[in-house]
Amino acid sequence: MTTETPLQSRMAAAADRRAPGSSAPARGWARERRRALRSGLLPALGVLGLVTLAPAVWLIVTSLTPLTPADPASFDFSEPWQSYQQAFTSPEFIRSVWVQIQLSLVTVVSQLLLGLGLALLLYKPSRILETIRTGFLVPMVLPPIVVAVIWKVVYTPAISPLHRLAAAAGVPFHSLITNSGTALWAIAVADTWEWFPFTMLMTLAALQMVPKEPQEAARIDGAGPIQLFWHVRLPYIQTTLVVATLFRTIDSIKAFPLIYLLTDGGPGGATQVTNYYAFVETFNFAYWGYGSAIATLLVAGVLVLSLVINRAGGGMAMDE
Amino acid sequence: MTRRAAGPSRRTVLAGTAAGLLSFSGRAPAQGGAKKLDGVTLHVTSFSHTYSEFLRAYLPEFEAATGATVVYDTPAFPIYNQRMDIELATRSAAHDVINVTFIYSGRWIGAGWTTPLDDFIKDPRKTPADFDPGDFLPGSTAALKDRAGALHGIPWIADAQMAGASRYDLIEQAGFKQPDNFDQMPAMLKAIKALGGPAAFGTENHYGWQFPPYLLAFGGLIFRNPPNDLHPMLDTPEAVHAAEFFSNALREYGPDGALSYTYDQTTQALLDGKINYSTYNQTFLVRMAEPDSKVAKTCAFSMMPAGPAGRFPNVASHGWGIPAGARNKDASWEFITWAMSKPLLKRMFDEKGYSSVTRSSMIALPEFQKKLTINGFDGAKLYRDTLELAGKGYTLYRTAPPYPPVDREIDNAIQTIVSQQMGAKEAMQQAQQNALRALQRAGVKL
Amino acid sequence: MLRAWLRYALAAALLLLVLSPALWLVLMSFRPSADIMSTSLAFRPTLRNYAAVWTGDFPASFGHSLAASLLSTGFSLVLGVPAAYVLARWHFRGQRQVAMWILVSRMAPPIAFTIPFFLAYTWLGLIDTVPGLALIYVTFNLSLVVWTMKGFFDAVPRSLEEAAWIDGAGLWSAFARVVLPLAGPGLAATAILCFILSWNDFFFALILTRTEAMTAPVAIVNFMQYTGFEWGKIAAGGVSVMLPVLVFTLLVRRYLVSGLMAGGVKE
Repeated sequence: MTTETPLQSRMAAAADRRAPGSSAPARGWARERRRALRSGLLPALGVLGLVTLAPAVWLIVTSLTPLTPADPASFDFSEPWQSYQQAFTSPEFIRSVWVQIQLSLVTVVSQLLLGLGLALLLYKPSRILETIRTGFLVPMVLPPIVVAVIWKVVYTPAISPLHRLAAAAGVPFHSLITNSGTALWAIAVADTWEWFPFTMLMTLAALQMVPKEPQEAARIDGAGPIQLFWHVRLPYIQTTLVVATLFRTIDSIKAFPLIYLLTDGGPGGATQVTNYYAFVETFNFAYWGYGSAIATLLVAGVLVLSLVINRAGGGMAMDE
Repeated sequence: MTRRAAGPSRRTVLAGTAAGLLSFSGRAPAQGGAKKLDGVTLHVTSFSHTYSEFLRAYLPEFEAATGATVVYDTPAFPIYNQRMDIELATRSAAHDVINVTFIYSGRWIGAGWTTPLDDFIKDPRKTPADFDPGDFLPGSTAALKDRAGALHGIPWIADAQMAGASRYDLIEQAGFKQPDNFDQMPAMLKAIKALGGPAAFGTENHYGWQFPPYLLAFGGLIFRNPPNDLHPMLDTPEAVHAAEFFSNALREYGPDGALSYTYDQTTQALLDGKINYSTYNQTFLVRMAEPDSKVAKTCAFSMMPAGPAGRFPNVASHGWGIPAGARNKDASWEFITWAMSKPLLKRMFDEKGYSSVTRSSMIALPEFQKKLTINGFDGAKLYRDTLELAGKGYTLYRTAPPYPPVDREIDNAIQTIVSQQMGAKEAMQQAQQNALRALQRAGVKL
Repeated sequence: MLRAWLRYALAAALLLLVLSPALWLVLMSFRPSADIMSTSLAFRPTLRNYAAVWTGDFPASFGHSLAASLLSTGFSLVLGVPAAYVLARWHFRGQRQVAMWILVSRMAPPIAFTIPFFLAYTWLGLIDTVPGLALIYVTFNLSLVVWTMKGFFDAVPRSLEEAAWIDGAGLWSAFARVVLPLAGPGLAATAILCFILSWNDFFFALILTRTEAMTAPVAIVNFMQYTGFEWGKIAAGGVSVMLPVLVFTLLVRRYLVSGLMAGGVKE
């Protein structure tokens, strides 16, 4: 399966020295390797399989039935594709996908721009900036439900300092989360606030690894800050940016606490993303078969996006 | 028999010592002599409500008298229903006494997930003589019976809808009275809005509950003829007209962000005099008369207004029930007979002011009458009349098993119309299509 | 010099602006309940909200969060660290597929797991238990551990273990004595990341717990009741729940980047 590395030759030689001729070196090394596999990797894979593959199988199986606990006869495979058919012909489902795409697009781009901008501001080594950089981490590490509470306060006119400030400044505005035109963007703002530190951190790290010579050379040649960024730094950090974008895109599909607390998918479904739609159908109405179909479609989408991440360089660097 | 003492359960075997060490909820069994429920742990749950909070205060008495330990859990309404639905569906024994929520009663009772109570009631060893099960208003027990007529829950509330105003002084000043008819509403609301003070109208945002009185009054229907003919009727001209009327009231005359007003916000706004007129739950409307309320002297009450087709206030009765999978049903019944006993309900009324009762003997008491006479308005009569109206059966739509998704469609439709994403006709047509789909998904033959 | 100070000033101002919503919540937690709806900055701070929150069921939920997070982190480390090492040192067939599997399991929306787990737990009696929560947290923690620790192990030069092996040390004893100490900081960072992720979970706890294992994030939502949002308690609860996470973040900030980057980008 693999060619012998220099190490293996040395180990084989050492094994030979310990027990001359007793065991073929290749077999000794292979045994070592099998032991490693068994004791180190298999337990983890076993547990991972138990907690991820078993539920996945159950999910797919259930999605082929109209299972609902109120009707025992509903675990029936006579019309296996009905849940999927219902999903694809349901305007609510289609709309939820469109809402999700809009939300993901706006939040990911915003997080990218904000994160990049802050990284460019903060990347210089300095104790003060180090403290400030740490401060910027706060939104990302807060429990998401606390983030939702924070923004619920901001978006509830009766107790919101933002609304009061705006009214005092002469530009009062109405509740954002009950207006169908603004509800989704209000959630997008909260979501961007929560996750921009992710992009910021990744970009910071990438920026700090950009080699000094090309940047120095460009500066000596008289390049302005924009040219410096575009021509010198960007090529080095673009892989990171792409990976960060893809990670955030996949994560944005999971958006839940903000919607749960701020809008419950409303008004009139304006903020009901696919994940939330699945939640409502599964847990409010107990349409387990239908909910499983939607969840399966979501996982399929995640799978596709993950493949893209892998290709774009975010993989586990397997081929060294 | 306690949950904890039930032999080497799968849980103990699987979780092992670590779990035991990490378990944070050890409870010592009750000490003392041979009390009826010595060492028994009862898991009781209902949704968070003024009633369930009042009851919490009396639990130590129950524990002291019976030797039981009560674990009492009252999550928010939507969370409670979600959890209970899943729990009952899986025949879980997690709880001994549960609340049978009105809009789920058809579903839960119809699916056989609750325990019929008639055998308990008839057994003199299990039910004290003065429990008087016939004392409960027929209107309140109707929803808690199965198709055969067996009772599955003892109602703790008949949540009636009526109309109230926090600043009746302003309404009178403007030359109006409490509207008896929906025709009379717009002019009054307009006049109040012109005053620039409180929002003229407001109600909480469970529109599947607050909107039907308008819908039915204008001649609309939810289902064609529940419980047998469940064809939805949400896009008829009458339904569209009603939706337009109601949404208009919210949009034009409601507070900023009206769509996000939950029960607590609406109630608080009424108490603060920030919303004037409201069609709302009686339990919360009467809070305006509390001694420390800012509007105690200026509040008013009246029946839910009528429309061309009549007057249709909703009445929801939630009741205490026993899950089919509960392990110690005798203990559960012990709890229920205590909680719903005449003496305890009377004390709750005297000490806490709880008035949404379902016992006709209580409603007939002169003190009940007196307490609900506020600023000259006869609250007790309003309550009785509303219950009587509801007894006529138009609330059957709420207990049809597939009603919950239709409820959400109504929520969505009103939100859509108020937020001007669509006109009333379009929104109600969408609601109709979605409701049809949801009913098909539930396997209903249309 | 001026440019540097301008940069600092701008950064600090932005920081204050960005953190202001969170700071507002902290302010609210000290606001007496009579003033809770007001937005003026002049109020007499009180500890009543914290007292109210900490003398109810909240401390228990805090304890459940702690227990579930510790248990899940420990379990994931015990399983994941050796696995990460094996993946870092040897090549196997199907390695790419394993990587994909781990990535997908980390990325999949929680709802995909919840109903199967709910049913399984009901049958096994694991509903509303701390070990039950800890187990479902493994779905994201184990992948995180393998993912990030592999990156750290990749960075440890092989020569040291090889020296140990030549001297006759067994595979795992060499690992424990040579590699693990070198990856110590990475291990600590990974452990803390796992802890934070478990602590912050809301969805699984919402569905899989009731009263006896309810975690702190879900307990906060309980303050938002049918009959009233207890804003003071919500704010105090929220601040209490965020404190441990903030403390840990301070401890691990240097490694958060490595933690995010490990396995993130091929150089």
